[in-house]
Amino acid sequence: MLKRCAKCGLPETYETIEFDDRQVCNICRQKDYKDSEIDWDARKRLLGSLIEEYRGKHDYDCLIPFSGGKDSTYTLNYLVREYRVKPLVIQFNHGFMRSNLNLNNERTFKKLGVDVLSFTPNWKLVKRLMKEALIRKGDFCWHCHTGIFAYPMHVAIKYNVPLIFWGEPSSEYTAYYDYRDNEIEQVDETRFNRFVNLGITAQDMEGMIKHDFELDPRDLTPYTYPKIRDLKKIGFRSVCLGSYIPWDVRRNVDEIKRDLGWQGDRVENMPFEYWPYEKIECYMQGVRDYIKWLKRGYSRVTQMAALDIRNERMTRDKADELVNRYEGRRPPSLDLFLEYLEIDEKEFNRIVEQTVIPPHRPDFIRIVPGDKTDDFGQWFREKA
Amino acid sequence: MIGILDVDIGNLRSLSNAVYSLGYDFRMVSEPSQFEALSHLLIPGVGAYGTAMQRIEERGVRAAIVEFAATGAPVLGICLGMQILSSWGEEGGRCEGLGIVPGRVVPLDPGNGLTLPHVGWNTARFSSVHPVLHQVKTERDFYFVHSYHFVCEDARHAIATCDYGQSFNAIVASRNVLGFQFHPEKSQTNGLKLLENFCAWNGRC
Amino acid sequence: MLKKRIIPLQLLLNGRLVKTVRFGEYRDVGDPVQSSKVYSDQDADELVFLNIDRAQRSIDSLVVLLDRVAEACFMPLALGGGIRTVADAEWLIRSGADKVVINSAAYREPELLSRISARFGRQAVIASIDVRRSAERYDLYSDCGRVLESVSLEAHIAAVVAHGAGEILINSIDRDGTMQGYDIELIRLVTERVAVPVIACGGAGNYDHMKDAFILTKVSALACGSLFNFGDNNPIRAKAFLTNYQIPFKVI
Repeated sequence: MLKRCAKCGLPETYETIEFDDRQVCNICRQKDYKDSEIDWDARKRLLGSLIEEYRGKHDYDCLIPFSGGKDSTYTLNYLVREYRVKPLVIQFNHGFMRSNLNLNNERTFKKLGVDVLSFTPNWKLVKRLMKEALIRKGDFCWHCHTGIFAYPMHVAIKYNVPLIFWGEPSSEYTAYYDYRDNEIEQVDETRFNRFVNLGITAQDMEGMIKHDFELDPRDLTPYTYPKIRDLKKIGFRSVCLGSYIPWDVRRNVDEIKRDLGWQGDRVENMPFEYWPYEKIECYMQGVRDYIKWLKRGYSRVTQMAALDIRNERMTRDKADELVNRYEGRRPPSLDLFLEYLEIDEKEFNRIVEQTVIPPHRPDFIRIVPGDKTDDFGQWFREKA
Repeated sequence: MIGILDVDIGNLRSLSNAVYSLGYDFRMVSEPSQFEALSHLLIPGVGAYGTAMQRIEERGVRAAIVEFAATGAPVLGICLGMQILSSWGEEGGRCEGLGIVPGRVVPLDPGNGLTLPHVGWNTARFSSVHPVLHQVKTERDFYFVHSYHFVCEDARHAIATCDYGQSFNAIVASRNVLGFQFHPEKSQTNGLKLLENFCAWNGRC
Repeated sequence: MLKKRIIPLQLLLNGRLVKTVRFGEYRDVGDPVQSSKVYSDQDADELVFLNIDRAQRSIDSLVVLLDRVAEACFMPLALGGGIRTVADAEWLIRSGADKVVINSAAYREPELLSRISARFGRQAVIASIDVRRSAERYDLYSDCGRVLESVSLEAHIAAVVAHGAGEILINSIDRDGTMQGYDIELIRLVTERVAVPVIACGGAGNYDHMKDAFILTKVSALACGSLFNFGDNNPIRAKAFLTNYQIPFKVI
């Protein structure tokens, strides 16, 4: 039995979680602080002056890294509509973009009228990176985590656009940065090393894969954080919009639906009626959630429910009911994943088992299959 | 141009690397003519008070340092570099210092079975505001390595303290001159922030 | 009050980091320079690098590494592996090392410790001791765990401290890489006999092991190898866990 937060239900295996003497977790506590202690008016004024500081000084007012999920879509929409910034939108194509996402993005870019650069890394390398990351850390998304955060920094330097806006602050989900410190989160290399890259840098990866993968050292540049001096010299400021305005996911989604016709999508093993907008950008999400379930004993449903409980939009009982019904099913996308990595399910289970977080113990015997999404047939297969 | 005093009284590598990574350019200075082009002066130091002052005399830079400080340009002494800013030090017999910040340097006496030198991460408590402390919180830990400490003649010059069996000064400040007893170039994020603030400072309070 | 320390132990072989099990079975665990940067960002308190390359015992490779690490890591650095002379130590310290780690040389030539500490201060010298448990005693080994030394543990730790070592790094070869927990008895034995800070190494597999070592002994610092390389662990999380047990760490 895992120890859980008395309020939101997140278990002790959740990263950075700490319980106080009432067994309420630090993420709940920092949310309380966010609601009552932060002077959001003052923060908004800071945002205004930050934007003015950089407006018009370079080819673009700012850089906005963009995935097309609810957070980056909201960020782009907000900055363009409220502040009329001229952004350079940077998209990192992780290799698993879903058709609904692509439609959303086309609609967004055309309605807002913005310049967009999209970068798709070498797929062969991506497959090898996924495998190594899975083995080392039980998390195959290394290329995506690092690419999304490192690649735009290279673009900032190359294009000399020093102001970079990200979306939600990490304090919404974890305590690596705490709202209670009342600081603007810096999205920099320290943050990258603290929890984005799983503790593995591109240079580490190079040594780990080069014995069986033909690698040109430059292949890993998109995943490598640029030198701090180069960033300091352009006067970089890399911040989250959510440090300046209070982040409210449900409100944000309503706004982008209204302004841009943004649409949610079904995700494997998630109740669509409750969370139609979460993690819709990637068709490997089901596998990601499944691995989390095996490693830590909880998954996406628990996390989303915790957020809603904290925002007083759901009761604990309802949350428990949804968790029991949806969590822990085997996603159909796992078949694709095994194909990409050229391993079988037995090997997959063995690898994941090495990375389990105590005191949790996964059940590899009773496996319940989950449902396919509508676009499953469109997802890339290695064998035709 | 940030100047780093180089008269063989300590390891400069980490400090110069830190300044460089923060986006500033630096040069090592070891003779009087090199002080002209400087906007800031860093005085690092590890070792003995007497030896440090001796090397400074040998290179003939004592006057240059004192004059530079008198211009109002920012000066930062680190560890032994902070200690030699004082009027005199007791290490190995009484030795005269640069006399830029009035005070004396005497041995730590922690008691309670605590050993010397004081080495490790310990907490600096700020007691005043200062431009160089901007965006660095009080009650944070820095890396200390020393057996002596700086006692200020003027209490207003002591702007941060630390405890190791006894309380002692972690930071001293007088107009455009500053001293850190700890090593900012070994104190990770907060140390780097202090260095960055110093390099951006114009010397005025 | 001085804070407790968590120290990632980084073993070097041919320019890469490796991890061992009982001092054998090497596995590549990354690039030493980047790894250092990551550990620094993850709130590690100090870094120890040991060159375990049997073939190449000169400290050249350590200096090359140090140059690069010191460009990006602004925290205390300790280096060791093959240090035989004061000149070796001096070169490392001038290149940016805060401390040097000495193991084999301390058995043959303990005066080396005195000369280095006289020159650079006690705090610059860490005496590293590798130990295997036999039936009723601890056996000391030099030369990366290969050569059995005749001196007793008690006598040797007294000797190194008397000769100027400012710190002791006590390493359990039996526990190395096993992730089964530290040898608490061994740590207690050492910490109770010396006044200098002790760093313990060998066996950390989860945060509970670290908690036990900090609470049940007077150890000043814990070194970890496998813990941070295999499994989803890092110093930040270790400290979050340990802070819940009132173990004091630096606050940034």
